[in-house]
Amino acid sequence: MTITASRAVTGAKPARAARRPWWRGRWPLAALLALLSVLTVSPFVAMFIVALSPAGRPTVPRQWPESLTLDNLTRVLESSGFVAWTVNSLVYAVVSVVVILLTASMAGYAFAKKRFPGREAMFWTFLATMMVPFQATLIPTFVLVNSLNGVDTFWGLIVPTLANSQAVFLMRQFILGLPDELFDAAKVDGASEWRVYWTIVLPLTRPILATLGVFVFLWHWNDFLWPLVVGQSDATRTLTVGLTTLRTEEMQLSVLMASAAVSVVPCLVVFFLLQRYLVNSIAMTGLK
Amino acid sequence: MRQRLRDPVTGLLFVLPVLVLFLTFRIFPSLAAAGMSLTNWNIGGDWDLIGADNYARLLDDVNFWLSLRVTLVYVAVYVPLTLLVALGTALLLNQVVFMRGLFRGMLFLPYVTSFVLAGIIWRWIYEFDGLINGLLAKADLGPVAFLEESAVVLPALAVVSVWKGFGYSMLILLAGLKSIPASYLEAARVDGASAWQRFRRITLPLLKPTIFFVVVIETISGFQTFDTVYVMTGGGPARATYTLIYGIYDHGFRSFDFGYAATWGMVLFAIVLVVSLIQRRFLDRGNT
Repeated sequence: MTITASRAVTGAKPARAARRPWWRGRWPLAALLALLSVLTVSPFVAMFIVALSPAGRPTVPRQWPESLTLDNLTRVLESSGFVAWTVNSLVYAVVSVVVILLTASMAGYAFAKKRFPGREAMFWTFLATMMVPFQATLIPTFVLVNSLNGVDTFWGLIVPTLANSQAVFLMRQFILGLPDELFDAAKVDGASEWRVYWTIVLPLTRPILATLGVFVFLWHWNDFLWPLVVGQSDATRTLTVGLTTLRTEEMQLSVLMASAAVSVVPCLVVFFLLQRYLVNSIAMTGLK
Repeated sequence: MRQRLRDPVTGLLFVLPVLVLFLTFRIFPSLAAAGMSLTNWNIGGDWDLIGADNYARLLDDVNFWLSLRVTLVYVAVYVPLTLLVALGTALLLNQVVFMRGLFRGMLFLPYVTSFVLAGIIWRWIYEFDGLINGLLAKADLGPVAFLEESAVVLPALAVVSVWKGFGYSMLILLAGLKSIPASYLEAARVDGASAWQRFRRITLPLLKPTIFFVVVIETISGFQTFDTVYVMTGGGPARATYTLIYGIYDHGFRSFDFGYAATWGMVLFAIVLVVSLIQRRFLDRGNT
């Protein structure tokens, strides 16, 4: 009330900003923001400069490299270990995305639109597992996978990470918001349940599937602890784990930084293509 | 009618894949973790029930208390620092219109990369001939052995995680800021409130729930710190960065003392549970 009253008294928006001297305006803030932004990305810039500097020659921070070269990058891409790790990381991330999107959307649909015994209890149990940090169950999960001979296999790497309560929760919340009539109409027309899921649920949930897909990809591409303990040879070792086996004592800094730079490329691609998507979904869902 | 009867079966069938995954890889390991902490399970898979011996050992373990202290100090540095940087950048982004999208993207960029990558870049940044000491040398200062001195190594690690992670909290806080009606701030401005008064009396109180959410989320991730420790210090120097998760990894996968490692996991679980319950308590109070 008081707010509307005081607005009514003074009239429209106060146009004070225009009359301020420049140093009282927003410019100092913009400059500070620009400085912080540049500082934030500078470690990446430094990494790329070192990665492109000739190996063994002085580079930042002592001096600017005399010339730039792609030699380090080609050397990294020619090393068999690195290529294997990259393929493993891609398999780990892509398979996880596909399976989690499929299973979580099916479960989300059932939790949102189907009636079955134990539905609520089951859903809340899933949610409660969010409170158990994965690291607290690391040992029993490893012992379980080990007893099933899953250590250093792809299924041992991937399958235990597919139980994702955030994904199920998000899908259920999204599908709850879709009107029942959409599904009922199809069923009246005699469509099978699977067909309803495939032709109605999946297309309608495309926006949330895309968001979730990006997050699942990043989670798995960047994942470390589980791949570290379960992927014990180059056959299943992922890129994050592989990178930690590279030591500056044994290889030149510029080659190490080139490896690091290549490993971040998929993240950068996702970032540049889907930044707006990521930003909006974090703000709206708190997905982390 | 037929539809209704078909529902329970299809509902269960759609949930089935997720149900199997959760029972096997989330719920069973959670219960097994508690069970294993009561055994002397080892690498060979032999075990005896030893009751609470692991917990007694834990209480007598100097390294456990050291690890708990290390983790608490780390969280005490990491959480306020993240909040400060995230809130500062969010406030700036909320004020500045000039190239806002670009700056937001630059500040958010580290979030899409991995802690392993952050660790590799910052290990070099902190080295004797690394980025920071190179710049310090130009000012005739240093060098500082960031990762070798017990006094500075924890804050140094916290800075890496802040850099990697603050973008998430920044976006959450920015969304919170945007939800504050502009008319409130405008009215206060018209009434002659200074920028600081507006921030202190309007923005901050209205942002409190968002800040609380950020603090809880970041506290939990602070307690789960592992990747950067593994990459940058290996728990050293002299166990100065031996965090709880590092303890789980060390006992589980260096000593293969699975029973005892599971006991460390239970401590982590207890801590995360307490933090989550405090959050719920406060949220409930906020709603009434």
